[in-house]
Amino acid sequence: MTFDWTTFALQLINVLILLAILRHFLFRPVAGIIAARQKATDEAMDRASTAEAAAKAAEARARTEAEATASARHEALSKAQAEAEAARAQMIDKARTEAAQIVARGEAERAAQDGAAEATALARARDLAGVIAARALAAQPRDLAGYAARLSGALGAMTPEERAALLGGADLRLVSAAELTPEEMTAARAALSDFHIDPAPETDPALIAGLELRSAAGAVRNSLAHDLEVIAAALGKETVDA
Amino acid sequence: MDTPLIAQHAFDIGPLAITWPVVTTWGVMAGLTAVSLILRGRLALRPGRVQAVVELIVTSLDSEIQATIPGDPGRFRVLIGTLLIFVLCANWSSLIPGVEPPTAHLETDAALALIVFVAGLYWGIREQGLGGWLRSFAQPSWVMIPLNLVEQITRHFSLMVRLFGNVMSGVFVISIVLSLAGLLVPIPLMALDMLTGAVQAYIFATLALVFIGSAVSGHDAPHEAPASPSQSAAVKEPPHD
Repeated sequence: MTFDWTTFALQLINVLILLAILRHFLFRPVAGIIAARQKATDEAMDRASTAEAAAKAAEARARTEAEATASARHEALSKAQAEAEAARAQMIDKARTEAAQIVARGEAERAAQDGAAEATALARARDLAGVIAARALAAQPRDLAGYAARLSGALGAMTPEERAALLGGADLRLVSAAELTPEEMTAARAALSDFHIDPAPETDPALIAGLELRSAAGAVRNSLAHDLEVIAAALGKETVDA
Repeated sequence: MDTPLIAQHAFDIGPLAITWPVVTTWGVMAGLTAVSLILRGRLALRPGRVQAVVELIVTSLDSEIQATIPGDPGRFRVLIGTLLIFVLCANWSSLIPGVEPPTAHLETDAALALIVFVAGLYWGIREQGLGGWLRSFAQPSWVMIPLNLVEQITRHFSLMVRLFGNVMSGVFVISIVLSLAGLLVPIPLMALDMLTGAVQAYIFATLALVFIGSAVSGHDAPHEAPASPSQSAAVKEPPHD
């Protein structure tokens, strides 16, 4: 076994040269590309971190804005509700006021109408009373003798059966508005002498004026009160028909 | 059969007698240079398969360096990486018919061991200063100075002899089997020789790293960070096969 110093020296130089070659052409470029990729990765991570921070900030802003919006919405709703409540109360008050005014106007109109109707009714009643009174008074005899004559005429106008039933009834009375004097009584009996009756005298102020013949079987009406009733009934029928 | 113990003369360049190990080394250098140039031209931020493999190797190398010597791995990347790649390629050059690996010759291994030795001196003095580096020989006490001095020589010598012995024995065995049995019989042995060559390249680079690391830190056990089991075994108990 020998040791070749020339080969040793050449191999030493060769390895040193290979060191330089690989350093320049292999390790340095590969390390550089790894470092560049690492740098790019770091930059991407930095950008991602920045973007993440921005996204978080935006999220926080959005959350704050959403909360503010919700708060504003709540406030607006509360305000709108309060305004609506106030408007409703105001409308109710106004409606109540207007209703009260309408009711008051209605009541006033009704009162006015009632007053007018009452006045009209009063006037009509006055007129009616006047008419009744005028008609009744126009139909009344001037004195008791006249009433006696009209009573006699009424009895004469009755059928014999009706007259016999009336006059044959018990408790036959000759009714006058005021107590008859003897002369008046005599005159009355004279007017009724054709019928051969002797009624008992009786006083009824409700007759106002007149002379009537009453018995248990009926009566012959011949008084101012009766005439007033007949005229009033007739006028009332006329008013209803009109 | 030519003995691998003697570097065969190839040709002369002037007064220099060029041997076959030198020629083979030039071929390895040319191949590595060509591959490096091609790879450098194709480097991109989005790596292809080849670039990814190379980057994985470089990254793993950095991790190994950092696990042994804390700090920037870029200081030792070129030296350790070059040793690893060159020894591996030199060992595997025996797969080419008629080519003997340069590492099967003592001159090449001696040159590699000398580079590691000088690198240890350089980095030791640079990191600790001359006084600190000299004081490291008195650790743990001054009584150890002779032994530490001898160790500095012997461990680099063993580095040289280990690589030489393993590779040369492989070449020897394959040559003998080839001469006795025929063409295809040595193939299993060549496959084993490939494995041996890879392991020896890894061991050589790792031991070089450990030696430089011990010179940098001033202790025999520079490794402080957790290491892989294989690396720990290599650091604590270097193989002597």
